[in-house]
Amino acid sequence: MTASPTTTAAAVPTAPSDVPAPPGRPRTRTAYRWEIRKLTAQVRTRATLAVCLVAPFLFVVLLNQQSQVPKDTLFGRWVHASGFATPLLVLGFAAQWVFPLLTSIVAGDIFASEDQYGTWKTILTRSHSRNQVFWAKTLAAATFATAVVTVLAASTIAAGVLLVGHQPLEGLSGTLIPSGRAAGLVVAAWATALIPLLGFTALAVMLSVVTRNSPAGIAGPVVIGLVMQLYAFLNGVDAVRHLLLVTPFDAWHGLLRDHPYYGPLWQGALVSGGYLAVCLAIAHTVLRRRDITGG
Amino acid sequence: MRPRPLRRARALAVAAAAAAALVPLLAGCGADVTRARVEQSIGPTFANLYVQQQALLGRPGLAAAAVAPRSACHRTNPIAHDTGAGSDWVCQLTWSDAGRRPRTGKFELIIHPGGCYEAGGPTKVIGPLTIRAASGKTVTNPVFEFDACFDTT
Amino acid sequence: MTTPAVDVDGLVKRFGDLTAVDHVDLRVDVGEVHGLLGPNGAGKTTFLRMLFALIRPDAGTIRLLGRSWAADGPAALDGVAGFIESPRFYPYLSGRRNLELLAGLDGARDPARAIMRVLELVDLTGRDGDKVGGYSFGMRQRLGVAAALLREPRLLVLDEPANGLDPAGIRDMRALVKQLASSGLTVLLSSHDMDEVEEICDNVTIMRSGRVAFHGSIDALRSQAPDPAHRLATSDDERTLEVATVHPGVSVTRHPDGALALRAPAAAADAFLIALGRAGIAVRSLALEVAPLESLFFMLTETGPVSAASRATSPEASALTGARS
Repeated sequence: MTASPTTTAAAVPTAPSDVPAPPGRPRTRTAYRWEIRKLTAQVRTRATLAVCLVAPFLFVVLLNQQSQVPKDTLFGRWVHASGFATPLLVLGFAAQWVFPLLTSIVAGDIFASEDQYGTWKTILTRSHSRNQVFWAKTLAAATFATAVVTVLAASTIAAGVLLVGHQPLEGLSGTLIPSGRAAGLVVAAWATALIPLLGFTALAVMLSVVTRNSPAGIAGPVVIGLVMQLYAFLNGVDAVRHLLLVTPFDAWHGLLRDHPYYGPLWQGALVSGGYLAVCLAIAHTVLRRRDITGG
Repeated sequence: MRPRPLRRARALAVAAAAAAALVPLLAGCGADVTRARVEQSIGPTFANLYVQQQALLGRPGLAAAAVAPRSACHRTNPIAHDTGAGSDWVCQLTWSDAGRRPRTGKFELIIHPGGCYEAGGPTKVIGPLTIRAASGKTVTNPVFEFDACFDTT
Repeated sequence: MTTPAVDVDGLVKRFGDLTAVDHVDLRVDVGEVHGLLGPNGAGKTTFLRMLFALIRPDAGTIRLLGRSWAADGPAALDGVAGFIESPRFYPYLSGRRNLELLAGLDGARDPARAIMRVLELVDLTGRDGDKVGGYSFGMRQRLGVAAALLREPRLLVLDEPANGLDPAGIRDMRALVKQLASSGLTVLLSSHDMDEVEEICDNVTIMRSGRVAFHGSIDALRSQAPDPAHRLATSDDERTLEVATVHPGVSVTRHPDGALALRAPAAAADAFLIALGRAGIAVRSLALEVAPLESLFFMLTETGPVSAASRATSPEASALTGARS
């Protein structure tokens, strides 16, 4: 700074005669790319993906060493018989306890972190609108959720097939499903988990915007998921169970039958879509109307 | 600024009405776990597994249709009226074995709210947990304990 | 009549019962350096936040370089840049990366050269690769200026830019602002320091409790300032008071602590001091107590030292305060 007054006079920008518009109107895509870059620079993102990559292998190794099988979860009894049972076991288990956390760890923080760092005033005073910033962040959170599901699915399938084998899988109709078809069905089952997961992503986004608090945004969806899971477990009113966001996580069961049924999948998609729409509408409205008085 | 809150309130009212209309559709009428659904599920599942067992025991070629299973299920808890998830479901299965003889057995079911269940059958009729296959290996008896799911929508 | 750089009409913002900004009008012409002055809590920061659409006004219009948020959305900030309170960045990214991110949010396609240029201007080229989390307060302030200049603004809005800096930093910041102003940039600068505003600005708006207490040029402000107040120590205070009574336009009063307070325009003060000497009274010390503009500022904003000297109002100043409150 000491040299600036005299030496840098030539470098000072001169006022142009008319206002230069930014080259190309700023697109949401640019803000989205920067949100992704910010995510990849954070430890929590890389750590979560690393865990998703490594944990399934450890899990299968541990399972193989035991003679007992986890019979209480679907497909648990077949984990030694076919490598395709492992990813379905993990899907059943992770859906119950882990999925909400896997998405909220990013989605619950992505808005609240701006409050934490005081940077709303920094990014909202450039050329992007609040609407664009909102969608950039939401899409980044959705991208992370998709990445998590993909990595976890690929890792569990690989762990099962490599460490146990690609034997035919005992389906839910009492027939053996041949390996090729089993592989396809396992991938499809994991893909269906993405739908309610995006619902939880929207829920985390809403909590992140409304509470402006990262721990609340991260823990909130986990707690809500647990409460829902408890309700479903305790055999409450069926009508309510159909409207819970954890129910669609089990919709893949119908795929593993000789005569598959898709009812739960369609319902699950509608319910997830409903949560998505409501949560994002609330989050968008709150953000758009907020007065940024702090950092 | 005046018209905007009104427009927004109208949009919100429409959305709420739409949601209210959708809820019963999604929630569904009637219980998820009914006697009919259980009976329709356990019979064919058992038949397929029985075919597998027979194949393992050295009697392949038995068709599931030939097994012709029939089931009668109920809950032992009378308050439940044979409806809803629980661990007190019992199904009496009758079928034809490989030699076309009629067999029957009482299966105990634990049915979960989502429509998936675990069934366990009588050892005396269908064999123990593990059986000796025709090849000489000891394998899991596919019919002794099994999982299945049915549609609850 | 060219479009003013900043044109604000009747701006109002209430937070519950508190009216933070109360029907404020402001005009800044292109090329002007305008100071926005006021004590803490006067509403300056709330006002500036409304310029940047960080806060929604309850009433009133804002036009920046002829554009408004209502009509143009984020395009209203084209050519406008600045920072509110101390600038904040992502601590886990480097200074350069933060600037790249902000350039991206500006829609810039190839910002590398522009970033180099602004980093040089604020003298951060050596530290641009370090994470902002490790920056000192002064470095962050400089990075904020760099981030603003990255937009090649025509209007620069700075909220207390020298706040929290050490004396060298303050000096450098003022020099930079003057240099930017001299290159044709319009600058709207808020401060609670009258000296700074007097040094850099052409025009000034003084805010108090959300309202405008004065709006005009520095010269106009000076002409309304009360006479400078001096602290006077003589060899014979009693006789000094007597001599003062025969000099019109000169007021000498006693401080509670015993010292004398002399308030007079320059010419009358000179004549008075010469008269004291002729009367055999030695002047032991004569010290400027409160700078004239500063005392006007305190009066207009009802803050500042409680000394008797600063309370003595000139007729013009009290008319001002009376009219605006």
